[in-house]
Amino acid sequence: MVFALTVSLAVAAVALLVLGVTRSASERSEDQRTTALVTQFQREFSRRADDVVRRVEAIATSNPISHMASSLNGTSADSAEYFDVAHQMAEGYQLDFLEFLDGQGKIISSAQWPAKFGYPDAGFEGLSASSGEGAFLKREELQDSKTLGLFAVRTTRVSERPVYVIGGRRLDKNFLSALDLPADMRVLLYQNRSEHFSADSLIDPSVTGSKAAATHPADKFAPLVEAVRHYNQETTCLIQWTADQADDEVFHAIPLRGAGRDRPLMGILLVGNSRRSYVELKRRIRASALLVGGGGIFLAILFSTWAAARMTRPVVQLARAAQEVAAGNWDTRVEVSGSDEVGQLADSFNRMTTELLAQKERLVQTERVAAWRELARRLAHELKNPLFPLQLTVENLVRARSQSSEQFDEIFQESSSTLLAEISNLKMIIGRFSEFSKMPRPQFQPIQVNEIVGGVMKLYEAQLQASGRAPLASQLELDNKIGTIAADSDLLHRALSNLVLNAMDAMPNGGTLTLRTRRDDGKVIIEIADTGSGMTREECERIFTPYYTNKQHGTGLGLAIVQSVVSDHGGRISVKSAPERGTTFIIELPENVAALQESPARAEAGTGTRFA
Amino acid sequence: MMLGAVVASAETRQQYGGTLHVTMRAALMTLDPAELDPALPDSIGRRAVSMLMFDTLVTLDENLRIQPGLAMAWQTSAGNQRWQLQIRPGVKFHDGTALSAEVAASSLRAANPGWKVSTEGDSVVIVRDSSDPELLAELALPRNSIVKRNPNNAFSGTGPFHTADWQPGKKLALAAEENCWRGRPFVDAVEIEMGKNSYEQVTAIESGKADLIEVVPEQVHHFSHEGRRIANSKPMELIALLFTRDAATPAEKLLREALARSVDRGSIHRVLLQGTGQPAASLLPNWMSGYGFVFPIDADLPRARQAREQVRSVPSWTVGYDSSDPMARLLAERIALNAKDAGLSLQPTTAANVDIKLVRIALASPDPWVALVEIAAFTGTAPGKESETVEDLYASERALLATDRIVPLFHLPVTYAGSTNLNDWVLRPDGSWNLGDAWLGTPVIAGK
Repeated sequence: MVFALTVSLAVAAVALLVLGVTRSASERSEDQRTTALVTQFQREFSRRADDVVRRVEAIATSNPISHMASSLNGTSADSAEYFDVAHQMAEGYQLDFLEFLDGQGKIISSAQWPAKFGYPDAGFEGLSASSGEGAFLKREELQDSKTLGLFAVRTTRVSERPVYVIGGRRLDKNFLSALDLPADMRVLLYQNRSEHFSADSLIDPSVTGSKAAATHPADKFAPLVEAVRHYNQETTCLIQWTADQADDEVFHAIPLRGAGRDRPLMGILLVGNSRRSYVELKRRIRASALLVGGGGIFLAILFSTWAAARMTRPVVQLARAAQEVAAGNWDTRVEVSGSDEVGQLADSFNRMTTELLAQKERLVQTERVAAWRELARRLAHELKNPLFPLQLTVENLVRARSQSSEQFDEIFQESSSTLLAEISNLKMIIGRFSEFSKMPRPQFQPIQVNEIVGGVMKLYEAQLQASGRAPLASQLELDNKIGTIAADSDLLHRALSNLVLNAMDAMPNGGTLTLRTRRDDGKVIIEIADTGSGMTREECERIFTPYYTNKQHGTGLGLAIVQSVVSDHGGRISVKSAPERGTTFIIELPENVAALQESPARAEAGTGTRFA
Repeated sequence: MMLGAVVASAETRQQYGGTLHVTMRAALMTLDPAELDPALPDSIGRRAVSMLMFDTLVTLDENLRIQPGLAMAWQTSAGNQRWQLQIRPGVKFHDGTALSAEVAASSLRAANPGWKVSTEGDSVVIVRDSSDPELLAELALPRNSIVKRNPNNAFSGTGPFHTADWQPGKKLALAAEENCWRGRPFVDAVEIEMGKNSYEQVTAIESGKADLIEVVPEQVHHFSHEGRRIANSKPMELIALLFTRDAATPAEKLLREALARSVDRGSIHRVLLQGTGQPAASLLPNWMSGYGFVFPIDADLPRARQAREQVRSVPSWTVGYDSSDPMARLLAERIALNAKDAGLSLQPTTAANVDIKLVRIALASPDPWVALVEIAAFTGTAPGKESETVEDLYASERALLATDRIVPLFHLPVTYAGSTNLNDWVLRPDGSWNLGDAWLGTPVIAGK
């Protein structure tokens, strides 16, 4: 991860460095191109200005105008016949604007507004002062609009009455389109005709149609135009046309001023430079950086994963082996690879499991010996009790031979009865041991737990109230929601009977026996509780050990049998007890529904065939 | 002396044959004189074309006196309410059928559905609802030409030319009628190119493709200097501003008055019209009514501004002009400039739906009553009752002007220029051509 992060940071740093250099280069390029375009525009402007001056001079010195000036110099001069001359000469000299003014500044003829003859020309004083000078910008009022033009003034003078020739070319789309622009650059002209920005005053030769106007709304130029008008100096501004940065353009606004003392602001030249090439270059750099960074990160992750796997695999194997050992598989081994720390750890683990296995075997042997000893002790104890009366009886019989026959007979009868009783007792002991050794495997069948429990309680109800012992109360708490489970009813009955008998034995002074059933987490719970003397914690821990008993008369096999039955059903048994607080045995049995569903037909047929 | 005697006694000898080429600005869509052309309700060019093919019962001579036409004689009774005109015998239509009183009556009924026209023998009898002293002048109108309408929608007239080829709006070719009752014309055919602007017409005559063209005022000097023959009609065309609806409020009447007073007719007449025609504040030209001079034509800006200042809110009016007429555009722009001086706002436009129209009204007849009635019909108003007194005529014209629907500006003649190859063509006072005696060729002096 650290390696991948390092790679990413390195790539990001390089990308930022390249981007910074690119931006700087692009800005320098933009400045150079803008400067070049402005210079080109000024050169083109000068060329056009010279052209306008040349044409106006040609008109002023032409024969028709000289003739007109001469004619108007007469006392009966009538300019009426010349009202259309400007129109004709403007077409001939390819001028957009041409007007002839008399000495008082009244229009003799106007090409751009023929109907304005006889009216005084606005700004005549300034125009007459410009006669003979170079071209200048002028806002020309037309019939229904105002437009910007490049004008020149010349005078044709015969005697004392001059005729002013004012001609010009329109600064329009054609003028702007004629500029030889570099790629990604364009020029717009804003005509400063009103106090506030007006989209109609913007001439954009590159935008045609409503769709283009929709993507390049002229209102975007309003802040730039207002800034130039307010600060009266060149201004640069970035215009964002769309959300795509590639459509952005940097516009350099240049104020264009007219002639005269005030040099009024006639128009604003807007030189636009598209940032598309720069943005696309930036995107390519970013994409390359992302590609390189991503690839680096991917490779770093691969390498890191490989390295981590190489380092952690033995540890994982060790952890898995430890889990196996915890689960009882003490013969688990891990592969020892290398002689590093992990290898040493794996070797130690193997030695540990080997040692544990040996200890386990020793423990088993020890426990086995102990069990045999316990069995021998129990057998000896169990057998010793009947053997002692047998010995005494036989010794009594031997002594009785010296008695009279009547006495011998009497003794013989008693001894015989005793011998038979003890022999029967021995057979019973031997039978119990034999029975434990022959615990059958449960034969599963559908049973109702509540019926089994109820049957056991019913079986022992009479003994609970038997004479000769303190009366015991019984309590049956059955959960009706318990359904059918798969179990061996005989074994389960026997196990419950053992627990009930133990409970009765535990309450010599009376008490309450409670049998309870309930469901818990998909299992059937059977509780056998007494209010007897209870057991200590140590007794509880040993109580299920075979041949262990805390009663004076008992083989210690009862609870072992119960535990065996429960275990064979896939359940478990536990005990909760405390001295003088009674004891509760808790049997948890699974429903074994799967076993029932596997042979529903046989179960429903009620053939009595037990589940396997 | 000998040379002078020869010249004085010299006579030119007419030559037959050839095709006379004419150009005109109007683009006619129908040749039926009784059918109003939706594009050109009436125009002097239309009259001229009509009178090449058709004749009327009576005509007006150069002195505007009634002369017999297809009617040899006439008489009136019942106080000029009943008119009986005797049809000239021996006249045949171009299809060879003879002119009869029934055909003439039928033609008049088609042109004048409101007239009661009947026949009595070889005479046509017209009975009007009231006294109609100007009926003969009306009968001289081209729309009352006698036309025989054949079932196949073809027209047949009695004029000196009959139709050879007709392409509505573009070209009309006429051929000389050999059996015309007025005699065969000298030229074999007349071809009229329609819809030609002034530039195209000048180019056509200078390149020899046209023999007779219309001349706009600014070209009059040009043709005069070239020595071509220029012919002017009497001022038969009224240029005026026509409001498209009545003045709804006194304020609007004041504004209309301001507009009428603001127009500097003198400057426009001197410069734009190059002195052609006459500035006019009256509907009828002075030569027709005799009282036109009493209407002041000079601009009165102070009073115009005064009228304008009495109105608090001044609307911006649109002035519509004919886009095919370059002079109309200049006139509209100049009038807008003049109106601006008076504080009014006029916007020249070629749109159809406008507040004011700059119109050219071809005066229907040299007869003042007939002309006034037609002007009134054009403006959508009703003139006074026709009578023979000039006082009634003056009162009717005053009443028409008082509606403030129309502002007269100029009365213009119709000017034509002929090529040097065209001889003896005559322009009637009403602007129509008489090409019956025109011939093509270089004049040859008889006896030389």
